[in-house]
Amino acid sequence: MGSTITEKILARASGQALVRPGDNLRVRPDFVVSYDFPGYTDVIFKQMKEEFGMSGVRDPSRYALFIDHMVPAITPQEEDLHQNTRDWGRLNQVPVYERKGIGHQVASELGYATPGAFVVHFDGHISQLGTFGTLAIGVRRHLVEAFVNENIRLAVPATTRVDLVGQLQPGVMARDVFHHIVRVLGAAGCRAQVLELGGSVIDQMSIDGRQTITCLAMFTGAVTAIINPDELTLGYSSSRSRIALDPVWSDADAVYAQRHVIDVSALEPVVVVPPSPAHTRDLKDYIGTEVQVGYLGSCASGRIEDLRAAAQVLRGRSVREGFQLHVVPTSQEIMRQAAAEGLITDLVAAGAFVSSPSCDYCFGRIGVMSAGQKAVSTGTLNVSGRMGSTDSQIYIVNAAAVAAAAIEGAIADPRPYLR
Amino acid sequence: MQMPQVRGRVAYIFEEADFDVDQIIGVKNIKLKDPAELAAVAMKEQDPDFAKKVQVGDVLVGGVNFGYGHPHYPPLIGMRHLGIRGLIAESFSPGYWRGEVAQGFPQVACPGILKAISRWDELEIDWQAGCVRNHSRGTSLPFEPLSESDSLMIAAGGIIGYLKATQSEDKHGS
Repeated sequence: MGSTITEKILARASGQALVRPGDNLRVRPDFVVSYDFPGYTDVIFKQMKEEFGMSGVRDPSRYALFIDHMVPAITPQEEDLHQNTRDWGRLNQVPVYERKGIGHQVASELGYATPGAFVVHFDGHISQLGTFGTLAIGVRRHLVEAFVNENIRLAVPATTRVDLVGQLQPGVMARDVFHHIVRVLGAAGCRAQVLELGGSVIDQMSIDGRQTITCLAMFTGAVTAIINPDELTLGYSSSRSRIALDPVWSDADAVYAQRHVIDVSALEPVVVVPPSPAHTRDLKDYIGTEVQVGYLGSCASGRIEDLRAAAQVLRGRSVREGFQLHVVPTSQEIMRQAAAEGLITDLVAAGAFVSSPSCDYCFGRIGVMSAGQKAVSTGTLNVSGRMGSTDSQIYIVNAAAVAAAAIEGAIADPRPYLR
Repeated sequence: MQMPQVRGRVAYIFEEADFDVDQIIGVKNIKLKDPAELAAVAMKEQDPDFAKKVQVGDVLVGGVNFGYGHPHYPPLIGMRHLGIRGLIAESFSPGYWRGEVAQGFPQVACPGILKAISRWDELEIDWQAGCVRNHSRGTSLPFEPLSESDSLMIAAGGIIGYLKATQSEDKHGS
């Protein structure tokens, strides 16, 4: 009986030869990653000192802090939070990365997504490091355990294997594929398990696309997602990895709690209608729905292939008068590439409002909607109040569909614009 | 460490699958911090008289994948202020589960619970026997075993108590 990639990573990180779902382990995270946010990092720093009398962490290179929310700061309190993070990092020799982009993406760029590594964060979207064969789990307030102790207690999750097969139609993006998985498996389809993805569609998919899908794993109920490394992802990570680790792969006879094969050949662009990430629908049934705001960005989408798709739709066309199109590349590295490819020029020429990388549009800190307004968005989530008034609404679509809606002022099929 | 005693009436049943706990207080109240203020706005949509009916020690019952979405902490802070001392659901969304267990809130996943209870029945989580007892009906239903760390955290009243209780052991082990 073989093991899954998840079981192999947890076995190594807990010093065991073999682990099985349900085993209670003490696991040593290879990296402990977080961004500064009120109620999380500030509380953890305080608890370490006041509850445990700790002045620092044992091995600072295992830790990474990102400043990506509330960037740039708009209140002195926000800047205080950031300054506290910088001070703590400096005092404890823990690297603090800021103004490099959204941490979940930058973590990959900086080599924290080492294949075979085990990573924890408080935020579940860290699951996207699974693109590189890294097991990355969001543990919410349990993260303090990884700051106080070298090991954390963790029960080995079971794995659901999903193989994506067939051929994606033009204009259907990774974003559509993910929300289709939610439609097929259900919002609890992978509950409390690891979502392991594979199949010919994943094999042929770009790193960007894989990051989009693994980023959103939580909406299937999963604790994280993971993809067995291949030439593409090993190529990306080999020069970036921060620690020397042997990558691992699931055995052919690994045991899965469930296996699903999903043929995506007939898949068309989708829309996730408010107010739940569980509400995947066919985009064609919502065409013509008036929207006033478009957001292209986030840790899920906003990468170069998203920007290319949007630029292709908008090149030589114009954002409709009065429509607010916000384009926020996920990282500085991506923004630089977009500039070099001329995509920023295309988007700005069409009337897009392009901002530097930040998490802030996605969670309603800036660019907010008033009551009654509607947005198309590639943000992570469409719950009420996520991007402003609790009486505004968010329709999640792929990047090309955000651009198409910006032209028409209504939900639109992006495919005619891509021909 | 001892598990907390959980025995009380079913103050409310959230039957809906994938229930988003933010709805308990309404998303517009999600930034409130004061437990009393949270208690004052809780359950207005579901049962406007809830605060009058609930008593200290009562429990809640939830459906499948309880806590789905993007759960925040304030809703359950408000409910605990009103006296809620435990929650039993068909199953839980893992993010919600972790968040509340870290607060030391007693919860168990008990498949079949929705059909085994009515509102105001008296339930007890029997930690020893691994079941939920319905004292009003004289029935019981097994709950899914908790992981080692979840048990320790609930027994210790939250993650800080848990870390203090286990730290000497962990230092020794590392």
